[in-house]
This record gives sequence, structure tokens and C-alpha cells, in this order.
Amino acid sequence: MPYLLASPYLLHLILFIAFPIVFSVLLTFHKWNIISPMEYIGADNFIRLFHDRLFWKAIMNTLVFLVIHIPLQIIVALALAYFLNQKLFFLGFFRAAFFLPVIISGVVVTMLWQQLYSFDTGLLNGMLTSVGLPRVAWLTNSKIAMVSIAIMATWKNVGLYVILFLVGLQSVPRRYYEAADVEGASSWQKFKYITLPAINPTIFMVTILSTIGGFGLFIEPYIMTGGGPLNSTLSAMLYIYKQAFEYYHMGYAATLGLFFAAIIMLVVVIQKYTIEKE
Amino acid sequence: MLPRTILYLLVLMIFMASCNSNKSNRDGGLSYWSSSNSGEIEFSKVMVNRWNLLHPNEKIQYQPVPEGQSSEEIILAAVVGKTTADIYSNMWQGSVEFYAKANVLVPLDTISGFMDFLYSRCDSTTINEITSDDGHIYQMPWKINPIMTLYNHTIQSDLRIDAGPLSYKKYLEAGEKIKKDNSGDGYIDQWLGITSTRIVWYQRLFNFYPLYLAASKGMPLIENNKAAFNNEYAIEVFQFLQDIYKNEYFTKDQEAATQDKFIGQTVFTKFTGPWEVKYLDKFKPEGMDYDFTNIPVPDDHEGPIYTYGDPKSIVIFNTCSNPNLAFDFIKTMVVTSGDSLFLELSNQLPRRTGIDTITAFQDFFTNNPKLKIFAQQSKHVRGIDNCDVIVEVFDIISQEYEACVMYNVKTPEQAIADAEKAVNVLLGAR
Repeated sequence: MPYLLASPYLLHLILFIAFPIVFSVLLTFHKWNIISPMEYIGADNFIRLFHDRLFWKAIMNTLVFLVIHIPLQIIVALALAYFLNQKLFFLGFFRAAFFLPVIISGVVVTMLWQQLYSFDTGLLNGMLTSVGLPRVAWLTNSKIAMVSIAIMATWKNVGLYVILFLVGLQSVPRRYYEAADVEGASSWQKFKYITLPAINPTIFMVTILSTIGGFGLFIEPYIMTGGGPLNSTLSAMLYIYKQAFEYYHMGYAATLGLFFAAIIMLVVVIQKYTIEKE
Repeated sequence: MLPRTILYLLVLMIFMASCNSNKSNRDGGLSYWSSSNSGEIEFSKVMVNRWNLLHPNEKIQYQPVPEGQSSEEIILAAVVGKTTADIYSNMWQGSVEFYAKANVLVPLDTISGFMDFLYSRCDSTTINEITSDDGHIYQMPWKINPIMTLYNHTIQSDLRIDAGPLSYKKYLEAGEKIKKDNSGDGYIDQWLGITSTRIVWYQRLFNFYPLYLAASKGMPLIENNKAAFNNEYAIEVFQFLQDIYKNEYFTKDQEAATQDKFIGQTVFTKFTGPWEVKYLDKFKPEGMDYDFTNIPVPDDHEGPIYTYGDPKSIVIFNTCSNPNLAFDFIKTMVVTSGDSLFLELSNQLPRRTGIDTITAFQDFFTNNPKLKIFAQQSKHVRGIDNCDVIVEVFDIISQEYEACVMYNVKTPEQAIADAEKAVNVLLGAR
């Protein structure tokens, strides 16, 4: 009876998690284009991976994105959560408004921002020129295209982390702040010595979630830039997608995917031991 | 408890068995998928109904290709799942070699009567183009949409096409006259033209590739399993496009779905195909007129001007139980009367000789004069080289296109040479 009750989940686990993982590992030793029989090629895919300059560029681009996106996300989410933790009029409206982008389709948001970033007709450049500033090539300048994508991704996802930080802030006991007031602490001192240490577990969780989410960067470069300009926004996930679904190099794509998963695990483990320790 | 478990398992087994689509239940008939274009759906329904009336024991079951992000993805999924139709009529010519090499398609030249029929429909250049590496032919050429230069009539005198074909010099000089900063904010807001700046491989089919075919009189990109495009023509094309962007004759912005800069008359030319005619006639503002001319060619160009025809073909999958019957049905769609109906209903050109001369088509072009130039162009169109990695070849060219044409980090010579090197590595590694 217990096995019968657990069987739907077991079936799901085997079909949609265990089997794909095992099959992916198997694929890394083969050449396969989906419609022809698989051809065993040994470690050729791994050798190719280490010589694939474009893949390493994609990895670097993804790391650049994370370096911009994660701190930005944490700072903005924390600031907004701090603001929403006050007694304000229309507090419910603001909380809903900040969370709304999280539930809107990523494709829709990306297309919307593509228009905002448009060099000729975009709202952002329109605002800049109206105050006498020059237009910015948000998506066509290789030095800032990834920054533009990071800003957009932050806007899209920050609502979720605002909620997490809000919960964290509301769980800090009020008596700590009252005691600090008695001692004459400033707002900044209260934030630095009471709030931040108290919400450290939340900061850790937001960092891990942002990192894992950030490694999955795909929709934004796929729709907005196609990986350009000059491969500056080519993310690892987009490159793996191209190998699998544009070139049908399934074996090589599986190899890239497995390697990339290992990198993500390594980064998360490092974060766990550094941030949690602090 | 146990009897109930057995009952649940039985229900599950019956359900799974009923999910099996048994193609052999079609009693001697076949299945046919067309594209989801409304004109083609209408045409296909007429042809299938006619066939079924005349062949009640060999009926064709018809549906448009199932919906998906692209028909190529749907076909690939169907091939993997062995759920393809017997006949499919929207196969991009560039995909045929990929499927042929996987033995998924029926070699049509093995069907009795096919070659004679093919030679009656197409010229030997087209037939050579569609012949696969193994010497077989896996596709029936069906339709083309030649890429030409669309222009707003107000700039006709600037393009000077009354005095000979549109050349690079004429085009660039027109660009200098047309580009303007109408709002006075220091930024150009009126351009000569627009073409996609995305580096997705298929976008090169609508800018670089037609220009290359026009300049080189239809030379291939790949020949004898080697890159064949490192020549003066490809370099000239890259230089021409680089000059266009350097001088801001084209905007680098992408068009949104709700923006059409040609209709908004902020750009005055586009490289596009005959599908534009119906669209423009529906949405253009009052008083706006347009026409088509050749893809720009180098100033010293002589002779015919080729272009990319965006060809699609009809194929028979190897799951078909009766390829001879399938070919008999296909023939009804691509004989002269079928082609004439196809023209009427879909506004697309059949890929055959004599579109501009055969009497059966004259009424159509009299009623649709804007499409006549495409019929004349159809004598000089090329498809895609037969190469199972043609997508990657175009991707490599796209990368160099971006570096050279859009961002000036490479000279045309360097970009083409780098593309040639990368393509040769790719072809050698297969």
C-alpha cells in the first residue's frame, strides 16, 4: 500500500528526472542529431568543449551578468522591502505593483523592454534626450548590452525577493530597535548592526536563488539580442540551446549542459560556505 | 484492494493502447500536410476534395501542419515520433539534405515518371540544385518567393532605376539624399532602408545572401564540400552593407510587431518578397504607392541579376506506404492548372519555368501587376546549397556579418576569410 501511494511520484521521478539525467550522461559519449542513430565517439565531446572558445565566452558572459545582477537585485529588493516595511498609504497597492512583473510572462516583459531600449524610438532614450542627454545604445553597444539585460532581469524578478526580505524584516524583534533607540543609535547603525545580521539567512537565500535563476539566463538574450552584439550577451544556456535545437548536436549539447550544471553546483557550494559563514 | 488495482491497471492499458495512431487504418489512402498559410490551406482543400471525388478508394486525409513555434520544429518532432504525414508541402529546401541523410525521405527519382515530369516543370539548373550528394532527388520544387527591393514611389527618381538596374552607387547616393534628421535633435529619423540586424542565421537569407547571389550571378556558398564564397562578390557585398551602416542609411533598430517603418514612411526601401504586396495593400496609408526592383548589384555588373527565391518543396516521408500514389496526388497540385489555382489562391509563385510566359497565368498577372516583376525574376532565382549543416554555415557568416557590417571591427576581406576558415573546419569535421 505505501508503495502504491508513492508510485505516482516515483513514476514522475523516474520518467522526468532520473531517466533524462542518465540519458544525458549517455549522450555525452555520442554524436546524435535526433533522427539518425546515435554514434559512439568516446570523449570527443569533452575534448571539443575545452577548445570551444564561444562556450567559454558564454560562461564569462553569464558570470558578468551574475556579478551585475545579484548585488543589484539584493540592494534594490532590500531597499524596496525596507520602504514597504513602513506605515504608508496604499501599502497593499505598492506591494502588489512590485510583485506584478514576477508573474508576467518573461517573453512579454522582454519584448516590452526591447521597445523601451530602442535607440530610435524607445522611451528611455526619449527621456534622456528631453533633458539634453545623448541617446544610449542600450542593446547595440557590446560594452553595455549585458548591463541593460541585467537591469531588465532585476526589474522582472525583484518583486519576489522584496517579499522574502519583507518577511525577514518583519521577523526582527522590535525590542532590538527600542533598545538601540535608548542607546542613541542612528538609523544607519540600527540597519548595520541589527537589521543586516538578523536577516542574514534571508540574504543568503536570496543570493542562492538569484544565482541559480541567473545561471538560467536565456529568454532575454534569445529575444532581445540573439546573443549579440559581438556575442557579448551570449549566455551559456542560449549557447546550449543553439547547439541542441538549431544545429541538432544533441551529444555536444548534453556535454555542455552537464558541465554547466557542475559549474552551478560549484558556485552554490562556494556561496554556501562564504556567505553562510559570514 | 487487489481487484481494484487490477482494474486501474486495465483502464490505464486500454487508454494507452487507444493513444496509438495506427496509420494503416486509413484503408489505402494517404495523409497530407500543408503549411498553415491561409491561401495554401484553401488551395490544399480544393485539391484534396477534387482528388477524393475521383479516387474514393484512395482518399487523401488533409490537415495544415500542426501548430508550433516553427513548422521545422513540428516536422522534426513528427519525424522522431514517426507521426509525419505521408506528403508534406512546405519543406524548406535547406532542410531536405538533413532529412535525406537520415533516410527519412523517399528518393523521388526512383518513382516511375518522376524525372520526366520534373524536366517538364523545371530547368536543369534547378534540377542540379535540388540533387542531393548521393545523386538522388528527394524534393519536388513547389514554390518560390523571390527577394527583391521594395521601394516607396516618392524616391523612384533618387534610385535612378529608369536608367538601368539598381546598383550600389545609385543606392548609396539615394541613401545620402534620403537620410534626414527631421526632428532636429541631432539623430537621423529618416532612413533609406531597414533590414534585420539580428545575428540569427536565417536573417542573412534576406540581406547578405540575395545580395551575394545578385553580385555573383548565382554562385554557390559551398562547392565540393568546401567554402566557395571567399571571392570578390562576397567582399563587395560586405563592403556595400558596411558602407550603408557606417553612413546611417539604414537604422540598426529592430522593428516591433506594431511598428512598420516602411508604412510609417520613415524608411523607403526594404529587401522583401511578394508576400509584402497583400500586406501593403491592406495597411498602407492613402496616397502611398510602392513598387519593386532588383536587388542592388555592383556598379560594373553585367548580365542577369539573381536573387534568393526562398524555395519550398514537396516531400514524401519514408513512412508512406504508397509513394507512387503520393506522387500521383502531388502531380495534380503542380501541373499547370494546379499552379494557376495556387497563384490565384495564395499569391505565391510556383517554382517552374515559364511563369511569366505561359498563357494560363497571364490573367492573374494582369489582375495583379505588382507581382509580374516577381514572375520575371523567377527565371533568375537560387535556393540553398545542398548541405546538411547549412544552418551552421549561415550562422558563421552571420557572426562575421555582425563584426564587419554592423560594428566595423573587421574589414570585409578579413571577415569573409575568417568565415571561410570556420566553414571549412565545420565541413571537414563532419
